[in-house]
Amino acid sequence: MNFDLLNRRGFLGSTATGLSSIALTHLLNQNSLLRPRADDREEGKRPIRPTIDPKNPNRARAPHFSPAAKNVLVIFCAGACSQLDTFDYKPELVRRDGQPMPGDNVITFQGEQGNLQKSPWEFKPRGESGKMVSTLVDHIGELADDLCFIHSLTGKTNTHGPGENFMSTGFTLDGFPSMGAWVTYALGSENQDLPAFVAIPDPRGTPQSSVNNWGPGFLPAVFQGTDFNAASPIRNLVRPDRISIERDRATRDYLRRLNERHLQKFPGDSELAARIASYELAARMQLSVPRISDLSTEPAHILSMYGADDTENKLKAQFARNCILARRLIENGVRFVQLFNGAYQTGGEGVSNWDGHKTIKKHYDIHGPILDQPVAGLLKDLKQRGMLEDTLVVWCTEFGRMPTFQKGASGRDHNPAGFTAWMAGAGVKRGYEYGATDEFGYKAVDKPATVYDFHATILHLLGLDHERLSYYHNGIERRLTDVHGHVIRDVLS
Amino acid sequence: MWFCCLLAVLGSGASSDGMVQTESDLASVTDPVDFESEIQPLLATHCLACHGPSRRESNYRLDVKQIAMQGGDFGEPPIVPGRSGESPLVAYISGEDPDLVMPPSEQGSPMTPEQIDLVRRWIDQGAKWPEHLAGHDREEISTDHWAFQPIRHVEPPQVRDWPEAVFPLTNPIDRFVAKRLQEESLEPSPPADRTTLIRRIFLDLHGLQPDLSTVQAYQQAQPGSYSQWVDQLLAHPHYGERWARHWLDVVRFGESTGFEVNRDRPNAFYYRDYVIDSLNQDKSYRDFVREQLAGDILGVDEATGFLVGGPNDIVKSPDINLTLMQRQDELADYVHTTSASFLALTVACARCHNHKFDAILQKDYYALQAVFAGVRHGERPLKNQVPETVRQSLSARGAELAASQTKFESYREHAQPPGDEPANLLESVNAKRNTDRFTARPARFVRFTIERTNGAEPCLDELEVFAAGTDRNIALASEGGVASSSGNYANNPKHQLPHIHDGLYGNDKSWISDTTEGGWVQIEFPEEIMVDRVDWGRDRTAVYSDRLAIGYRIALSLDGQEWQVASSSRQRKPFLVNGKEPEDAFVVRLEPELASQAREEYQRLVGLRKQVAELQASTPTGYVGLFGPAEKIKRLHRGDPLEPREEIIPDTLTVMGSLGLSGETPEAERRLKLADWLVDEANPLTARVIVNRVWHYHFGAGLVDTPSDFGVNGARPTHPELLDWLAWQFMEHGWSLKWLHRQILNSSTYRQSSAPRAEANQVDADGRLLWRFPPRRLEAEAIRDCVLQLSGKLNPKAGGPGFLLFEVDHENVHHYFPLKEYTDEHFRRMIYMTKIRQEQDEVFGVFDCPDGGQTIPRRNRSTTALQALNLLNSRFMLQQASFLADRLQNEAGDRVKDQVRLAFELAYSRQPAQDELDESVALIELHGLEAFCRALLNSNEFLFLS
Repeated sequence: MNFDLLNRRGFLGSTATGLSSIALTHLLNQNSLLRPRADDREEGKRPIRPTIDPKNPNRARAPHFSPAAKNVLVIFCAGACSQLDTFDYKPELVRRDGQPMPGDNVITFQGEQGNLQKSPWEFKPRGESGKMVSTLVDHIGELADDLCFIHSLTGKTNTHGPGENFMSTGFTLDGFPSMGAWVTYALGSENQDLPAFVAIPDPRGTPQSSVNNWGPGFLPAVFQGTDFNAASPIRNLVRPDRISIERDRATRDYLRRLNERHLQKFPGDSELAARIASYELAARMQLSVPRISDLSTEPAHILSMYGADDTENKLKAQFARNCILARRLIENGVRFVQLFNGAYQTGGEGVSNWDGHKTIKKHYDIHGPILDQPVAGLLKDLKQRGMLEDTLVVWCTEFGRMPTFQKGASGRDHNPAGFTAWMAGAGVKRGYEYGATDEFGYKAVDKPATVYDFHATILHLLGLDHERLSYYHNGIERRLTDVHGHVIRDVLS
Repeated sequence: MWFCCLLAVLGSGASSDGMVQTESDLASVTDPVDFESEIQPLLATHCLACHGPSRRESNYRLDVKQIAMQGGDFGEPPIVPGRSGESPLVAYISGEDPDLVMPPSEQGSPMTPEQIDLVRRWIDQGAKWPEHLAGHDREEISTDHWAFQPIRHVEPPQVRDWPEAVFPLTNPIDRFVAKRLQEESLEPSPPADRTTLIRRIFLDLHGLQPDLSTVQAYQQAQPGSYSQWVDQLLAHPHYGERWARHWLDVVRFGESTGFEVNRDRPNAFYYRDYVIDSLNQDKSYRDFVREQLAGDILGVDEATGFLVGGPNDIVKSPDINLTLMQRQDELADYVHTTSASFLALTVACARCHNHKFDAILQKDYYALQAVFAGVRHGERPLKNQVPETVRQSLSARGAELAASQTKFESYREHAQPPGDEPANLLESVNAKRNTDRFTARPARFVRFTIERTNGAEPCLDELEVFAAGTDRNIALASEGGVASSSGNYANNPKHQLPHIHDGLYGNDKSWISDTTEGGWVQIEFPEEIMVDRVDWGRDRTAVYSDRLAIGYRIALSLDGQEWQVASSSRQRKPFLVNGKEPEDAFVVRLEPELASQAREEYQRLVGLRKQVAELQASTPTGYVGLFGPAEKIKRLHRGDPLEPREEIIPDTLTVMGSLGLSGETPEAERRLKLADWLVDEANPLTARVIVNRVWHYHFGAGLVDTPSDFGVNGARPTHPELLDWLAWQFMEHGWSLKWLHRQILNSSTYRQSSAPRAEANQVDADGRLLWRFPPRRLEAEAIRDCVLQLSGKLNPKAGGPGFLLFEVDHENVHHYFPLKEYTDEHFRRMIYMTKIRQEQDEVFGVFDCPDGGQTIPRRNRSTTALQALNLLNSRFMLQQASFLADRLQNEAGDRVKDQVRLAFELAYSRQPAQDELDESVALIELHGLEAFCRALLNSNEFLFLS
């Protein structure tokens, strides 16, 4: 790309034309056309709206303060993975197994409760910390000393769509920007040849709120996640077979000349220049993405560490390949990777994701092995490569599940009153547990934390002040955490 | 915050308010408390640091009587005179509300129990606060914000020393713009050339390019004919198709539910067509507003699609918290969309507390909720499209139905209480397996008729009929049984008629009727045979329990004509749905004679319901909302549905007056009154807001750059006088949008060149002051439409059901897979693409195309590599490139130069320059016409409005 096309002064003067809503021009500010409400606030509390270069909107931008983590890898379990069958061990639940839960019979998402029910999986002490983790996730359990558990998360909804929206966007409603979009908007990316934000859907399909999880909401589309996984590449990335390389190149050279000639009539127009640049980026992505997605260069011991060579469990092997892809993306500077485990509901409740309402044993015996070794492999691999030094790994889900079985069923209903997530890597304590649910694992009672707090903490680890990172949309300084959230300082290392 | 608060409520159970009140009642009699000497010092010591003149946390102050009594952001009075037990202030200072302890521990010491008791007594004695100590607040809710001031009758300014030769002051708009440019010492731009101008008005008004002959005709037209061209374009139906898209963005219109299940709404398109037609007819904006809020009583049913065009979460749950919250979210959507679209106010920000910035109280939000308290999502017959005969029948049957309902209900009081069913009743139906035994009889046919389900179309995984006295299932296809039904659920391999007797169990091998809560399925045997038992189930593998036939009958026949009921759900205990028994369950508890009468009446009632339903079905239904009695609306403390407070009557914003309604006002009248108030010429917002929107779409930015927020936190107008002049004249001219378009398009301002000028760029890069026409990339819809137009494939079919770009997997949760092949239907304009939330068009979605999840008053314009890849490599674009190549070949013949010339004329409305021609020919000769077309469709000149 010929950067001289952009007269530098003209370019600086026109940063707003490409992404018109990102930068409110100096004119607006000079003339106070926008009421400087934001500037009324105390120094140190004013909103921070990153300045976006329209020609290179994902150029790396500085965080608000020195960050612990540079990149984030979110592992998201669709369908609401039960805390009680994985990471939240409750001896009292074992003791009172089969007895009614004290208090009034609670009506939850699908109705009445049966009795308290211990997990069908045994819990064992792990590592030096002795953290109790169930045998459903044995491999992850072995890494408990590296994990920082938050056992007292609370949500605002007990239904899937809003639950995924809430965890991924901070709002239960449709249409808000995803966490990855916020982070990309704030920080851009270190690698201009790859998308800044990648969402890796499960081999079985997209999660329950689909693109809401990685959508841009009202942020510019350039900050949305690009979705692809190890099995299905980015749509339209590849030149169609029937067009030869030479023809493709000649066509694009011709197009570039056409566009450059047109730009001469509009010197300094950054939107036109940005479009020319976007074809250059597309060309670089066409080279870099297939290279990153090509796992054939991974040695056998790595494949087997993730379980990608499992010939018995195809889904597990496919998910393991997604985990390897996630590592490769992070390794190459992708800012935000969102790795999904579990898909939308298909083939019945709980079959394709963690929604274990009716027969949790049967369904989790499918999902546990798909998740366990690949994620453990991913963590070990990140660690051995030293990548946990500047990468934050986050494991989360939609909300928790009940300590009871549903009346007349052998599975657990939705429960947003207390559930578990964990973090690992840059900036967080190792082998640590924050907060707790009650004796049965039903409600958060010790240091309850909200999803807003969770988001605030993730942003903080990236060097971002969740109260200041803002986007002015239709009169409102929008934030990922709305008007809520406190950084959970206890988990910071 | 909200959730913690919810937990606190769930956890704490009964409060101790009653107790507290009794004690303080006693004290209050004995010992009068003096505000000045006893209370005010206490407040000063413990409260004013945060709730005084300097900090005003939560906009609450305890040094100003009015605010102290009225409350701050929480929107409720913290002090209830005479009732300390009900006064939140007491709960805060005493620590009763664990969520909110005042003062917070880090801010100061708590009051002592004696001090708290003093405050209690003061309140119980009437919270007397002498007027001379009332204090005053200079920052009370005010209305001095510009947008709330009346629209002024402004005279266009005189402009002196203006280069009229470059920029003639054609109409008043130009005078306002020129004045402002002069203030900033900016020069205007000269008029755009004719080609640019004709392309500009076509792309702007139609979202399509002018065709060749049009461009030529315009180039040769008389000077001064421009305004006739504008008139012609406005008169063309393409205008409505283009501009409806803008309105549909503003009102977050989509054609699926969104959220998890994301079901499609196949009849939502009526509203889209209503918007297109209204624009094309130049319907007065007043009527446009009124119809969208109250079209049901104005004879325009389609228009209320506005109210229910947004997403709604249809996942049902017995959990009352979820149900209440879903309803609150729906109501919030109606309030938000109405106030944002028409008033450009963010009223929904006051759902939990008084608005942080604008003069909008929390109770105002709930007053607007009360206006919409009878509105629900759903489909409704479009009465204005119902033939008169059908209307008459409907009214007659409707009356009979009401009478029958009353009669049937009259039996209820004679029934024994539940639990006293006859002892011989069988267990209620279950999803897994049910056995119906009966006296052995001969049959050639067995029919299973579904009368009711626990929701949706019924599903049976297997229907088994046994030869008398045996375990031989003679229904099996392998035994020669032949299955038929009233109708089958469409297009799902899991649910097929043959599955009803294939001997395989479970959902994947089941049959579903095509009738909601009804339908029948039957087996014909090869010959007459004695039968005595039927086994059936919904899912014998016990995974599913929905779609269960909870009301059914099994009938036998020898000839397929005469049927005898052998068994039915009446022999079973009633099936409870959400803990409630069906409406006719009491019949089994009646005396036999009454039972038979009641049963007969019930049959009649069901029959009438069916007739009414069929009559309604014979008339079109649209997804335009359901209207029922208004539910009572209460203010919710911090927006929490579990904390309802005082009842709120329907009204508009306090600061803007009152609708004068009561809690008893019928719901439709509420909406109509609100609509009338919105379009009252005294309303300072409605006209300003719409003229600004129109300006925004013509120039890429509004005079106010936050088109849906005219509040304090929104942008201020760049040209306030112009905005008022436009709004005033707009009302004077019958609220005609086409009048407004004409004014704008005929101005010199609009007709300027879009070429950049360095010196102006440095002062006003965005062109907000309009020193040029601001160029910009086209939106997703215009790009797609122009591509189709250029390739010659644009299908002009207007209106009616949209085209769907997906294959749909109709499970409980709907899933959408992009089509692999396109037909002509898919080459219609994109406004007719069925807008599925979350699922964007595969190619054009990434061009910042909103999905209808939120209202979008202005689109972003970002530029991404994915956009480039989609335009370069997608199946759709490559196919269009090939169509364009065919077209060039057909219309220009075999000479490459002619093909290039034609292509440039079609795509850019101009001839290629010599170097362009040479390069194009070189490309085509080496790589073919398609390669050239592919490049053209990706080029900036083609994709930009300039």
